[in-house]
Amino acid sequence: MNWAFRLTGWAPWVAATFVIAGLVHIISILAMPLLAPQDAFGRLAEATPLGRLVILDNGPPGKELLPFEDPATIIAVCRFDLAQGALRLRSNFDGEGLVLMSFRNRFGTAFYAMTDRGTSRGRLDVVVATRAQLDAIEAQDSEDEVPSDLRLLAQLPEGFVMLRALSPEPGQRADAAARLKMITCGAEKAPG
Amino acid sequence: MTAFLKTLLVVTLGVALGLLSTWLAVERGYGFGSVQAGPWTAWPKTGSSEADPYAKAVMARSGEIPLGVAEGLSFLAQSDDSGDELTAHCEYYVRGPMPVARFWTLSPMTPAGGQLLPEGNRTGFTSAEIARNADGTFEIVIASEVRPGNWLPVRPAAHFRLMLRIYDTQVSSTAAVIDARTMPHVVRGACT
Repeated sequence: MNWAFRLTGWAPWVAATFVIAGLVHIISILAMPLLAPQDAFGRLAEATPLGRLVILDNGPPGKELLPFEDPATIIAVCRFDLAQGALRLRSNFDGEGLVLMSFRNRFGTAFYAMTDRGTSRGRLDVVVATRAQLDAIEAQDSEDEVPSDLRLLAQLPEGFVMLRALSPEPGQRADAAARLKMITCGAEKAPG
Repeated sequence: MTAFLKTLLVVTLGVALGLLSTWLAVERGYGFGSVQAGPWTAWPKTGSSEADPYAKAVMARSGEIPLGVAEGLSFLAQSDDSGDELTAHCEYYVRGPMPVARFWTLSPMTPAGGQLLPEGNRTGFTSAEIARNADGTFEIVIASEVRPGNWLPVRPAAHFRLMLRIYDTQVSSTAAVIDARTMPHVVRGACT
């Protein structure tokens, strides 16, 4: 048997190997967010309660719960599950401090993000709800008034609100934490 | 070789190659959509729903929660201006312009995104606490031993990364290009 014949004999098998490798690559990349137990949501689920805003201690240096966080920020998290009702977040902080707010699904994807500049002088009233819950809320609306709250549609029932307050100088960490403590967050009772 | 053995070999090799390529892809960064400016790299879309599957896979594995588009933009540098990897064997000067933003923070991190030094050490600088020259310019010195001025300590003899976060910024986070002239330089000084 000559070499050329041997090579052509193997060609389909080599091609099949690469096709399988490609498929495994694509499937494993797409499946990783679904299978990773230690993603951000998994970590927060172990460290924070459901339906309540808590200041997150990101852990000692080298053993951080969440990597790549800014050491100059205080973090607060409100984990939600819309199966327990729509989520209502209200804030009433004052001052010029920077507060970052993002509403995320369980894969960490932000479906809405803003800073304190987007609030009305620190006042904010947000509802995160499923399509059905939004319809129920809208059915309760008075016809002469424009709703004053910000309504966000969540594609997935599980998620979290990530809040970060900047402490521009080390001595201002308490102020930054106090700003986050002015935010309330929790499941809302169904209207009606 | 029988067809059965050949098939077994092809499947085994294909799966192994596929998983290896996945591992390499996830280890090496956040997939597509990176923006380069000098030594700085940003991945503006990793926190948004526009993130590509590779970015989502990396996030799921690392557990990080990147900034949402409206919150700000974070840049990571793993090398200095001349392209050499950042190491605490050398000292570095960060100087030059900063992108226009309400606040910025600069902090050294381990390659995994953790704090470099035990608690009690300076973990970074914010735009509010930096000491500036009369003309508004500034210089941050990164070194493992004490320096006068804006000294940012790093752990001796370790590789590190620099993370620059700009909050509430005018910089279009969806831009495909960020002008390197608007970003600070990372210049290497003396090495031991």
